[in-house]
Amino acid sequence: MTPEFHLTLPVERRRAAALPPLPDFVTDLRPSDAAGPYERLARVGRAAELAGLDGVLAPFDPAGQDPLVVAGGLLRGSRHTRVTAEFHPGIATPVYAAKLSASLQRFSGDRFDWRLTVDLDPQTARAQGDFLEGAERYARAEEFLTVAKGVWSQEDYDFQGSFYEVLGGGLLFPLSGRAFPRVQLSGLSAEALALSARHGDVHVFGLDDDLDSGIAALRELSLETGREPVYGLRLPVLAREDDIEARRDALRLWIRRGGAREAFPEPDPCTALWPGFGTVGLTGSHEDGPAAGFHEPGLVGSYGRVADAVRGHLDRGVSVFFLEVEPHLEETYRLGEHLLPLLAKEKHHAG
Amino acid sequence: MPVDFYWRMAMEGDQPSLRRKGAASRGGFAKDATGGLAPGTREGGPDGYSHLDYLAEVARATETSGFVGALLPSFPHTDDPWAAAAALAGETSVYRFMVAFQPGFLHPVQAARMTASLQVATGGRVVYNIISGGGGPQQLWWGDKVDHDDRYTRTSEFLDVLKGVWYADRPYDHEGRFYRVEGGGLPPSLSGQPFPEIFFSGSSKAAIVAAGRHADHYLSWLEPLPSLAAKFDQVREHCAGIGRVPRFAVRLDVLARETEQEAWEEIRRGWARPGPAATPAFVGLGDSVGWRRGQDLAGEGNEDDGHRALEVSPNVWGGFHVLRAGPAFGLVGDYRQVAARLDELIGLGVEAFVLGGVPHLEEAYHVGERVLPLLRGGAAGRGGGS
Repeated sequence: MTPEFHLTLPVERRRAAALPPLPDFVTDLRPSDAAGPYERLARVGRAAELAGLDGVLAPFDPAGQDPLVVAGGLLRGSRHTRVTAEFHPGIATPVYAAKLSASLQRFSGDRFDWRLTVDLDPQTARAQGDFLEGAERYARAEEFLTVAKGVWSQEDYDFQGSFYEVLGGGLLFPLSGRAFPRVQLSGLSAEALALSARHGDVHVFGLDDDLDSGIAALRELSLETGREPVYGLRLPVLAREDDIEARRDALRLWIRRGGAREAFPEPDPCTALWPGFGTVGLTGSHEDGPAAGFHEPGLVGSYGRVADAVRGHLDRGVSVFFLEVEPHLEETYRLGEHLLPLLAKEKHHAG
Repeated sequence: MPVDFYWRMAMEGDQPSLRRKGAASRGGFAKDATGGLAPGTREGGPDGYSHLDYLAEVARATETSGFVGALLPSFPHTDDPWAAAAALAGETSVYRFMVAFQPGFLHPVQAARMTASLQVATGGRVVYNIISGGGGPQQLWWGDKVDHDDRYTRTSEFLDVLKGVWYADRPYDHEGRFYRVEGGGLPPSLSGQPFPEIFFSGSSKAAIVAAGRHADHYLSWLEPLPSLAAKFDQVREHCAGIGRVPRFAVRLDVLARETEQEAWEEIRRGWARPGPAATPAFVGLGDSVGWRRGQDLAGEGNEDDGHRALEVSPNVWGGFHVLRAGPAFGLVGDYRQVAARLDELIGLGVEAFVLGGVPHLEEAYHVGERVLPLLRGGAAGRGGGS
């Protein structure tokens, strides 16, 4: 399985980054409008494109920009990277989601993917106008994907379910016939794994999850469904030339987010695991407090050590890595120039 | 009162001219790809361009030639306006995106979030064209089983929720017939944006009732001027009842040339060319009242030289639907004549236009550069013009 490396985009919670004034005697030709969220995200997207990453993920966060709008802009600004938008099934009918996505596939040469989030926290879901809870959400997600795929690939498509109804449906030429977005799903519950076995193309784990039993369970379910997703992993990373430098920058990150120096957890010298990424809540911009996108543990260490840890996950069956870094632009170049070359062999000689 | 001229974005692909009926070879919409552009062919393979690249050119042409922006229409077989607007947001600077959508297909909270993100991306250049749907079997293609008149009720509630979320300064709650929200609102990174101007489409009584509450502009296809004037009066009358003053917008195609003969020759050639007879207009017009009105007024007519029979009054021609997918009426004439007819429409109270022409790229320059500068305004229009 060829490994893939995707960059998780920041959640842009700020309108425009405030620029410090320049001294009077310095000629100042800066445009009066500081780059807004759309342009700042576009820059990170271009960084991922130039640094040779395989894709970028626009996460859903109630506080951030809409991932579908962000994805439209990122696809326009790139030639190679895949772009994933995270959304929940309540945002639109599956027919409309399919149609909008078919246009994005036409515009981008089939580089658009879906991450369907099924288990929103109930309060967040209700603020989005979605009151469904528990197992019903998986039932709806199942119907959502069934209908979206149905209208995508069939003519005269009929469907009657508990949530959706279609009569004589099916995308028409030339919106028909494109590649369906790769579907990324996550979750460890029985319903989540069953949904992935039926519809998932990538099942995404966290470092905290019991990877081996999750993969084993999905493999078993896939014997019944006849299809198996590939396995993905969310992976916060801070990699430097050597371990000492990496530790120094991890400590800076820790302190910048309000961690106490004496409470700093040391990165594990063997596995490069560091539990501090989630400490005070994280990402996008540290001055604005917590946001989705960064999760608890991650890897801190030299490029070589981090590459070894990635290889370890490859051996366990993971092939898609959703890297989480900060600050996004410079860390993305760092990954592209220092970490990915160490994994070139795995990338090009995958079985 | 300034008049806004929009140009249309061809979400359905584009023909090289009206002489090539039904061959939308720009944007990948023709089944026979020979001679197609965007995507085109190089060295025997696809050249890597897409419909979006052509749309971007039309947007740039539109922006520089005198239009305020474009209507991005939505039909089952055409590209999606939200997708196109998101992709093109960074490529123009003043161009307004008039996004057409049917309220039932998106949740209003999601519509609010997507719109606000686009407002942030464009500096507030989103405009809405809200359609409640032709209906009939077509509506079930979309997976929408709400029937014709109820769809307008839903549209009203949809806009109530969308505005509720948009303007919320405390957690917004709603419990209605179609939607429920608890603790809704926009985060600081999305709030405080201008709410899009609303252009409302629909010719039925239910549409007019729903439009009255929410529409900034009442958007109609072109009809012969007397019947359009009568329709405006009907809307005015209804709006007076609810204390609103309606504003009118008209969507029409324009074929303007240096001389009148040249313009009609263009039509004659398209008319005479063998090809799929009348394009049955867009699939998707189902039980649309506006579409039926256009058909009844234009009639059929397909003898070789019968095209002039569809000129219902000077320069107002009802045969465009034969030459390209879409509604029947538009203006044909020399630059001055077309400008004079637009003045007459301004005289009827039209404050915004959505013009279109085939092909959309070249004709945007034509109309923007040659016709718009000749406009004199509604007073000239009421004087009869020439």
